[in-house]
Amino acid sequence: MMPRICISRRTSLAAAVMTAVLAVSAAVATEPAAVVTKLADDVIAVLKQDDLSKAAKRERLERLVLASVDFDTLSRLVMARNWTRLSEVQQGEFKREFKRHLSATYGRRIDNYQNETVHILSTREEVRGDRTVKSRISRGGGIEDVLVDYRLRQHDGEWKIIDFIIEGVSLVANFRSQFQELMSRGGPDHLLSALRKKTAEEEAREDAV
Amino acid sequence: MKRIVMGLLAVGLLVPGMARAEPGLGAPAPAEADASGSDVTEWDPWEGFNRKMFWFNEKLDVYVLEPAGKGWDWVLPDPLQRAIRRSLLNFREPWVMTNDVLQGKIVAGGNDLARFLTNTTVGVAGVFDVAAHWGLERNDEDFGQTLGVWGVGPGPYLVMPLAGPLNIRDGVGYGVDTAARVWPFYAPFLVSAGVTTLDTVNSRSLILDEIDEARKASLDFYVGVRNAYGQRRRRQIADSREVDTYDAEDLYFQTD
Repeated sequence: MMPRICISRRTSLAAAVMTAVLAVSAAVATEPAAVVTKLADDVIAVLKQDDLSKAAKRERLERLVLASVDFDTLSRLVMARNWTRLSEVQQGEFKREFKRHLSATYGRRIDNYQNETVHILSTREEVRGDRTVKSRISRGGGIEDVLVDYRLRQHDGEWKIIDFIIEGVSLVANFRSQFQELMSRGGPDHLLSALRKKTAEEEAREDAV
Repeated sequence: MKRIVMGLLAVGLLVPGMARAEPGLGAPAPAEADASGSDVTEWDPWEGFNRKMFWFNEKLDVYVLEPAGKGWDWVLPDPLQRAIRRSLLNFREPWVMTNDVLQGKIVAGGNDLARFLTNTTVGVAGVFDVAAHWGLERNDEDFGQTLGVWGVGPGPYLVMPLAGPLNIRDGVGYGVDTAARVWPFYAPFLVSAGVTTLDTVNSRSLILDEIDEARKASLDFYVGVRNAYGQRRRRQIADSREVDTYDAEDLYFQTD
């Protein structure tokens, strides 16, 4: 009897401490604007490293982005009501292929860093608890600035990005419209094969460069 | 990432559509979005026709405009191209101002007037955007937006030959914009046609990579452009009204 009580007391104490620690770290470390600032700083730091090979840069960038993006939620949002039309296996495959597609298309131009700077403008609380962090990316030299908003959602105490909105165009919405088109044309198999084909093209292009 | 979106948007500026100040584009009202059954599918009852026109414009771009833009890009350094663009945009400020006033944004209109006066004089015919350094930023307004602010719905999506993506409302707006931008300067046809060509080729040369990227990365370029156009236009008009015309929350909670 006695030892059991001890254990339960100890666990509850441990749980209390854990909760307190989590609460503190949640409050301090995961401010939405801080997540975006850190990502921007880290990405620019990698882009600036001239001694890194392109492949190494891309690998690091991928890791940085994946750490601050809730890719699971993003994939579901992009598929919307089509998500449940995919089998569990297809869902897994979609997530993998979509990730590869993003990496191939957006990872290609990383040699092209032109001293862009990111200024965080404001954070807005959305109706159902998400946050939108607004930023302005300046390129200088008379080139027009680009406005980028990041939508973040809290999951297990961590704020992660679930959408990028560039000059008013949500990436989630844009991909969704294209995936919807593919789904209505030929269902999940058509979507997945189109995605695979596109990514293969992108990767071939990259090797050619 | 941003490059590709800019490319999708930029298709909105192709050809005479370049006359628009920024990636300027068009937008369905919520009612129409609902009618199509999804908040991300633009109302496109003429898709068959539109796709053909889109294809035609694409060919035109690939065989005429893009090569012209590349040639221009080869001849002229980028800073010079941007200077030309700034100068051409400067002469649209009076019309931007008019639209701001028509939308009831008097302060913004004052901003536009101050920009025009400053940049035309101190900025040497708009070559330098001095006003922006003084905190007077460029507004992006056109008559399609003004109609939207007045409550005119977008109507069906429309792709016309030689023009970027439009809808009925923005098509009308575009006609008015074109007339209003030419008229105050009493330009003879050849001059205005020359300026339009210069603007088109020059602007195209500034976005060679963006269009190329967007074209190659899209799974369905037609749908990607249509969606980007709709989103962008909604946002532009919503900013003017300072309310969101479509419920972004739907986008982020509609998963099953």
